[in-house]
Amino acid sequence: MLPISAVCGGIYRAAIRTLGTRNVPLCRRLSSGDGVLAGLADADTIFALSSGHGRCGVAVVRISGPAATTALRCMVGLRKHLPPPRTALLRSITDPHSKEVLDRGLVLWFPAPHSFTGEDSVEFHIHGGPAVITAVLQALGSVPGMRPAEAGEFTRRAFHAGKLDLTEVEGLGDLIHAETEAQRRQALRQMSGDLGRLYQDWSHRLKRCLAHVEAFIDFSEDELIEDGVLDRVDISVCDLQAEINQHLKDERRGERLRSGVHVVIAGATNAGKSSLLNTLCQRPAAIVSPIAGTTRDVVETALDIGGFPVLLSDTAGLRDSPDLVEQEGVRRARERVQQADLTLVVVDSTILPSEVKQAGAVLLKHLESVLTSQEQPEAGRCLLVLNKTDLLPEAQREQLSLGLRGTSGLPPVCLISCQTSEGLKDFLTVLQSTVQTMCADPLSGAPTLTQARHRAHLQQCAAALAQYWRYRDSDLALAAEGVRLALTGLGRITGRVGAEEILDIIFKDFCIGK
Amino acid sequence: MSRMLTRKLLPVRNILPPVTKRASHVHRQRYDVIVVGGGHAGTEAAAAAARVGAETLLVTQKTHTIGALSCNPSLGGVGKGHLVREIDALDGLCGRAGDWAGIHFSILNRRKGPAVWGPRAQLDRQRYREFIQAELLSTPRLEVLEGSVEELLVTDPNPEEPGRHRVTGIRLANGSRPISASSVVLTTGTFLSGSLFVGHTVSPGGRIGDAPSSTGLSQTLRERLGLRVGRLRTGTPPRVLKDSVDLSLAKLHPPDSHPTPFSFMNTRTRCKPEEQLPCYLTYTTPGVERVVRESLHLNCHIQQDAKGPRYCPSIESRVLRFPGRRHQVWLEPEGMTSDLLYPQGLSMTMPPDVQLRLIREIPAMHRAEIHTPGYGVQYDYVCPTQLSPALQVKNTQGLFLAGQINGTTGYEEAAAQGLWAGVNAARWARSLPPAGLSRTESYIGVLIDDLVSRGVNEPYRMFTSRAEFRTSLRPDNADLRLTQKGSLLGCVSSARRDEFLRVKLRLQDAEAALRALTLSPAGWRKMMPGISVSESKNGTLSGMDLLQYKDVSFEMLASLFPEQLSPHIEFSERLKIEAVYKPHCDLSKREVERIQKEENMSLPQDLDYFSLPVSLSKEVREILDRFRPSTLGAATRLEGMTPAAVVNLLNYVQIAERKERMMNRSNAGQQEGRGEDLCARNASLPQ
Repeated sequence: MLPISAVCGGIYRAAIRTLGTRNVPLCRRLSSGDGVLAGLADADTIFALSSGHGRCGVAVVRISGPAATTALRCMVGLRKHLPPPRTALLRSITDPHSKEVLDRGLVLWFPAPHSFTGEDSVEFHIHGGPAVITAVLQALGSVPGMRPAEAGEFTRRAFHAGKLDLTEVEGLGDLIHAETEAQRRQALRQMSGDLGRLYQDWSHRLKRCLAHVEAFIDFSEDELIEDGVLDRVDISVCDLQAEINQHLKDERRGERLRSGVHVVIAGATNAGKSSLLNTLCQRPAAIVSPIAGTTRDVVETALDIGGFPVLLSDTAGLRDSPDLVEQEGVRRARERVQQADLTLVVVDSTILPSEVKQAGAVLLKHLESVLTSQEQPEAGRCLLVLNKTDLLPEAQREQLSLGLRGTSGLPPVCLISCQTSEGLKDFLTVLQSTVQTMCADPLSGAPTLTQARHRAHLQQCAAALAQYWRYRDSDLALAAEGVRLALTGLGRITGRVGAEEILDIIFKDFCIGK
Repeated sequence: MSRMLTRKLLPVRNILPPVTKRASHVHRQRYDVIVVGGGHAGTEAAAAAARVGAETLLVTQKTHTIGALSCNPSLGGVGKGHLVREIDALDGLCGRAGDWAGIHFSILNRRKGPAVWGPRAQLDRQRYREFIQAELLSTPRLEVLEGSVEELLVTDPNPEEPGRHRVTGIRLANGSRPISASSVVLTTGTFLSGSLFVGHTVSPGGRIGDAPSSTGLSQTLRERLGLRVGRLRTGTPPRVLKDSVDLSLAKLHPPDSHPTPFSFMNTRTRCKPEEQLPCYLTYTTPGVERVVRESLHLNCHIQQDAKGPRYCPSIESRVLRFPGRRHQVWLEPEGMTSDLLYPQGLSMTMPPDVQLRLIREIPAMHRAEIHTPGYGVQYDYVCPTQLSPALQVKNTQGLFLAGQINGTTGYEEAAAQGLWAGVNAARWARSLPPAGLSRTESYIGVLIDDLVSRGVNEPYRMFTSRAEFRTSLRPDNADLRLTQKGSLLGCVSSARRDEFLRVKLRLQDAEAALRALTLSPAGWRKMMPGISVSESKNGTLSGMDLLQYKDVSFEMLASLFPEQLSPHIEFSERLKIEAVYKPHCDLSKREVERIQKEENMSLPQDLDYFSLPVSLSKEVREILDRFRPSTLGAATRLEGMTPAAVVNLLNYVQIAERKERMMNRSNAGQQEGRGEDLCARNASLPQ
């Protein structure tokens, strides 16, 4: 009998590996080779920030697995004795290599099986600033045998150890779904920038390297594949290695990702999206005019809502336009909606039919066209904002606000008027509680975690490329294995590469005659 | 060592005639297994089924062509050689037949690492056929019948198991009584609705010189069983008279000076090293490209849109896809005494007179004469996603398919499937649970898994790059990977089992001896001054560690420690390979175990995914319904599966298994089959 537990590790991992493949339904593809039972690989020790983020005084970093004590020893200076179990100690936390003090915080040690995951666990309670958190996560990543946790991996290990009760187990599928979704959005944001392009470029070049080595292995004896092929692979591998190592050394790490819950305002033209943005940030960040199609690009602004960091984006109104600039704006708007943690769909309430049922139907249809993802609008991921209520007769306003509440399939509805600020206070309360819920989830809007994970995979990739050189002249099969492992490492960021894809490149680049 | 060799290598006591003698009538009206087709898949299937213990009948159109090499006169190569070694480890025929019939042996990729060495041989067509026919004849429980199968007999779907037919036997074309069987293995190659193409001429058939197969079979598959079929094409080059070719204008390509046998049971080949024949290499010229272009309008086959292989393309597709460059043409001997040459790389389908013009554009063949023109074949294949990993048609109990009918190309790919289908057909007939081969343990497993879980859209050929665990699936260790399993399944002779056990024990002894030799790095440096031995973690290094060094051979260590190591010199090459690869294999071990577990969790084939009471999206339900994965592992590899869906599916499987176990417990004292430990998981759910 297979332990139930052994089950889900790969799922999380699988979900993450597929992240970042271009275009649509990222989370819907389970990359092959990343099975359900990757839990067998539990010898790894995982770590993650397990507290929420935003304005918080204390952050909790959790470590679970056999090497947890190693981390404790080399980062807290407890060389000889482990601290007494389940007792908080105030300690300096240092980088294991540079010995630099990163922070001073509480350290707790939970020996197996008396921990959340049932494994040896350690918790660091450190100061909540992003710099400290990043430094500690990176230091942990450099301890041998440690890697950043995948979505929900702690929960899975708890499940593994029989630490969850039956109702919690039943919800596991949904939990995994929610967490992989959160990570997918996070990675999408990261991958759509320069960094994403860089990783894609590496992946592309690595694929060609592998294809050419494989062609040389599978075909060269009887085919016209010249020895020069391998020389070109040598150059390519050499370049890639240098670039990846340079990138890993680069403290700036390319681009800064904004932390916070990503809230996107979307809707048809002239619904009052930019007015809402301006109202929310209490300054004219976006140009507002009665002319439809005024906003053509994404306008982004950082906000603080109830103490939580929010990145608010205003987008171009969605409509078919012959104007090329506006078309691009609409494309970007749709992209933003896909990456958003929360979408505020703004609707001009004056265009709604006066009959409530009909209005509900119109709104449902409208939502579908705005949130193009095939997903059902997930609970808590969308708010419907009916604007311009000052232009409605009082009776209709009341009907709408009461009637729509009961319509199934509709997200929470807020009636506001940006013009008169009517209903704004209620809307802010709803928005704040939604953002608060989201911030409690350490996964949404935490680029440090994604970065730490990427870093770990890139390190794997660079190490694997070294294997290419070790065997380049003595055993090409093992050298190719190095390139293959490197591509697997990178594939966890950019999406998995299958054998067929490699064969496609081979047949495109070479005339195979036998 | 040569003791077991001579016996196995020379089993051909009564060559050829008796086959036809036995072929005129059948001895019984009921068999356990009937195999249709006598090609590479069919012969392996029949022999394997009989080895496993089934009363087996092989039906073929012409007994004379059993074991014929319809296309190239060669066996093995990179990837394909791996398959031959694995087939041999399971006591299949083709490895030993290759050692008997080979006339030019070489190991491809010799410089590129043992994991990708490709054992290969040019074959004598006549000798290959002789061996296969004699071997089939001497196989107990196996009968051969000459005839054409008119109809496949299947029951109507069982109302209790919706949509599931059961095979009951076959009916021959001559109108005789039906012959019944529990299992039928179809290995009809290119004969399923096959058409032959030469220039503008199209005629029905699967191979030139053979009668076309009946349409009844293909009709049963398509209409009665509702199987989805696709169309593929392939081709073969003209055969050229050796005397008409000026071989001095081609480059001589000698064989290895010491032929390496395919079979683990042989230490030498029938052909003596010095008797081997060479191959010749030459190239196409711009004239060849011109002739192809000028004759395109005369070339029916090339204008069709059935998918041909990208890796064994006709000369037409080669010059059209990569114009303006020269292409290799290998001139290969067809046999020890044959007066023909096989121009590998010149597969073509233009009219015969144009074929002659084309080959004469190549200097070495400027006066060549064609013996038989090249031709193209288009044929139906059954989309293999409709098969289980045992190669059984999912909706028809007892019906197995193997070889080109499943969309593969190549002798070795066909033979591998044939063997496994034969084993499983016999198991089905004897009510044993299906046996599976994992992609983590063999290329055969990779082949079958790729076919049944992903399907094909062009003829499928094996490449080493398809095997993700290439470092452990090596030609040298195929016996260690498979012979024991084969022995448990009953498809391995006692002689092979004994030899395997001997080798396994000796290897273990040798490894233990190497590990027992421990010295400090400084000690080793003193013993072997030329080697730059690095420091080790725990202060000592074993002989096994030293053997990992590029410049250290087992012979070197044996000369330093003759007492401990010289008894093991027989295995010096295998030990060296094992030492180098072991650390890499260990790294992937966890991944291997994970995949094996997933593959061992089977999903019932008759599961109604649309009404399954678990939380799955409509999209996922449709995917599952379309592909009907046999195991959780296969489900995981489907495009479009979500992580959450897999967890939910897994929960379902586990609940079903728990119920099953509880039922089993209540029937305590039940006896267990011999193959139980191998197949337990597959058996635990109703198929």
